[in-house]
Amino acid sequence: MNDSCYLGIDVGSISTNCVIISPDGEVLFEIYKRGEGSPIASVQQCLSILAEQMPESMRIKGVCTTGSGRILAGAVVGADVIKNEISAHARAALHLYPDVQTIFEIGGQDSKVTIIRDGAVVDFSMNLVCAAGTGSFLDSQARRLNITIEELSSRAVRSENPTNIAGRCTVFAESDMIHKQQIGHEQKDIMMGLCQALVRNYLSNVCNGKDIRPPVVFQGGVSANKGICRAFSEALKCDIIVPSYNMVMGAYGAALIASQSYIEQTKFRGIQVADHPIATRGFECGDCPNCCEIIEVLDDDNVIGRTGGRCGKWEGKTGPRELLRGKGPAGPLAPSSSDLETVCGPCSRVDDVPDLIQMCFPKK
Amino acid sequence: MTYMAIPNIGNYTIALATAVESLGIKAWASTATTPEALKLGINAAPESVCLPLKAHLGHFIEADRAGVEYAFMVNSVGTCRLRYYRHMIGDIMKDLGLKIKIFGLGFDGFKPPIVRYFDPGPVTFVKPLIHTALKIKVIDELEVAAWRTRPVEVNQGDTTRVMNRLLVELSESRTMAATRAIRKKAARCFAEIPIDTEKRPLRVGLVGEISFLRDKCLNKNIEYILGSQGVEVRNFFLLGEELNNISRIVLLNQNRRKYLSKIADSYLQCTVGGHALDSVAHSIRCADEGYDGMVHLCPSGCMPEVSVRPILKRVSKDKDIPILEMSYDEHTCGVGIATRLEAFADVLRERRKKKRSLVHRVDMVIKPNNADIEKKLNKVCP
Repeated sequence: MNDSCYLGIDVGSISTNCVIISPDGEVLFEIYKRGEGSPIASVQQCLSILAEQMPESMRIKGVCTTGSGRILAGAVVGADVIKNEISAHARAALHLYPDVQTIFEIGGQDSKVTIIRDGAVVDFSMNLVCAAGTGSFLDSQARRLNITIEELSSRAVRSENPTNIAGRCTVFAESDMIHKQQIGHEQKDIMMGLCQALVRNYLSNVCNGKDIRPPVVFQGGVSANKGICRAFSEALKCDIIVPSYNMVMGAYGAALIASQSYIEQTKFRGIQVADHPIATRGFECGDCPNCCEIIEVLDDDNVIGRTGGRCGKWEGKTGPRELLRGKGPAGPLAPSSSDLETVCGPCSRVDDVPDLIQMCFPKK
Repeated sequence: MTYMAIPNIGNYTIALATAVESLGIKAWASTATTPEALKLGINAAPESVCLPLKAHLGHFIEADRAGVEYAFMVNSVGTCRLRYYRHMIGDIMKDLGLKIKIFGLGFDGFKPPIVRYFDPGPVTFVKPLIHTALKIKVIDELEVAAWRTRPVEVNQGDTTRVMNRLLVELSESRTMAATRAIRKKAARCFAEIPIDTEKRPLRVGLVGEISFLRDKCLNKNIEYILGSQGVEVRNFFLLGEELNNISRIVLLNQNRRKYLSKIADSYLQCTVGGHALDSVAHSIRCADEGYDGMVHLCPSGCMPEVSVRPILKRVSKDKDIPILEMSYDEHTCGVGIATRLEAFADVLRERRKKKRSLVHRVDMVIKPNNADIEKKLNKVCP
């Protein structure tokens, strides 16, 4: 059984991560890859890197996907479990630090706080409508100053007299930063001020009203930024633990979930998926006035999954489209029920009822 | 045939459509705001108003484009913006140069203006109204049955299919007898769905703004997402109950609000408008009834719901019931909503497991017939 392992894939907004663990939760391989806007391609690239690194004898016993692209990635690789990223991150942190009480997670697009008591998640919160205080903001600021994000981090830590930057909103923060820059503040001080503004915003918006107790674990892409870590420990007056796998904690948690969910026969489609020509195709469902845009994931003309519907009619189904589709949008008087009766029998199996009923003449 | 556009209030639109027939005209509506309509409304409305107004506005603009001449808009008595929806929508549509005529629910004299305008005969007027009341009752029953069955169904999607199919039939039924037949059939159909009787689903209450509680397009199908996560939902807006409340106010001078404000008294003494008092009172009641959690749907920019958010946080802390805050606007994406709801269901499941193990531990140490321990047990697991 030594050659069995579990795969966790985290498809986030900025990066795609893969982690392979042994059955007892030890990380064997980790891959962090910044995605170039195409989740399928980056998942495939991750898998092909894995295929090079992994010994032939290793067998993947279970796969779990997480992150905002989890459903699509799950369809592509054939995931056994598809889990939300909040649970995945909490699982990983709890595995490494069983006594953790608070988890901060700041990723590219959203930031979350998870409150843990006695080894169980009791509360969580996610940024609602504002993206200030996430990694993409730092990214864009670094790009504006023409430095890499790593450089921003190392410069910020050296600051001794951080500048005060308005952090309520990214747009105002940016104009404030430009203003401070023009009146001659040092760049490292502005960097540190930016980190502090981001942390202030995070603590007041995302952690609003939450009881934050140490030990605090900080993970997600932004946790690589030393300046943010410093700002956090200054603001909370406690040590911030940054795990050694901080960048891939989501994927690690997903792999742990896969290893703990008693998978008998994995649905994984094999590591060679990396070389398959996977494409997507969109079409409009049109069975009801919702007109959902359904995305079909195709592997060499075979449908391997569908996403994008609202009513669950298409989700995860791979059957031919004609069988799944109903009788088109509800017409002037909706499809007559006596017709349905003869085709599908009594209520037991009727797939062709609209999710949204249009009364009277159809909308054009 | 003359058509009248009516606002979307979820599945109850089917019943409202029958009510419109009492005026001798036909209704034009759908059971949720379509994405197209939402787009139109967002373009036409001021940016900072709440999403329900944009949804209704877009719906009426779409109706006008389809050639509908009349529209009807409810105006609630709550002290929130909903009261002025009709005037605002009317003004915006006038500015856009649209011709649709919007009626409200106001009384000026014996007959409401909408009845005076169409002037139907007494028989054509009364009969569909009784039919409407019956339909509302049936839809109430369907909703409740769907909440209960969805989390325990064996084949995922059965409940939604049965429900949607029955709703289609209901929207076609023209006579009271047909509606009564559907009611009987509904009981049979829901009983036929194979369910897992051993499963004890999590129970979650939905509170918040009414358009969001009802409109599948606005709340991103929250009942379905939660139901398929194995959560039994209780949505605190049933039109039947609201109408019961109104008739009780008129006939018996008993307002449910009095009862609710008694429950919420230690948290909220004054009215803040809308359904905010309901949100607080129902959260407290659910906590006392042993619900696992609450979900609060709040459009960003909705004054009443935003003002009770800190109060709900307090309730959550005092009563030890997790309350998930959901803030919606037109930029809210479905993936974010689904992620939060899934994580929330995970949290509730873990809490329940933890509570159970706690009970187990207490059980093992001391004999269970001790009165003190029993009290403790009841507290942990009511």
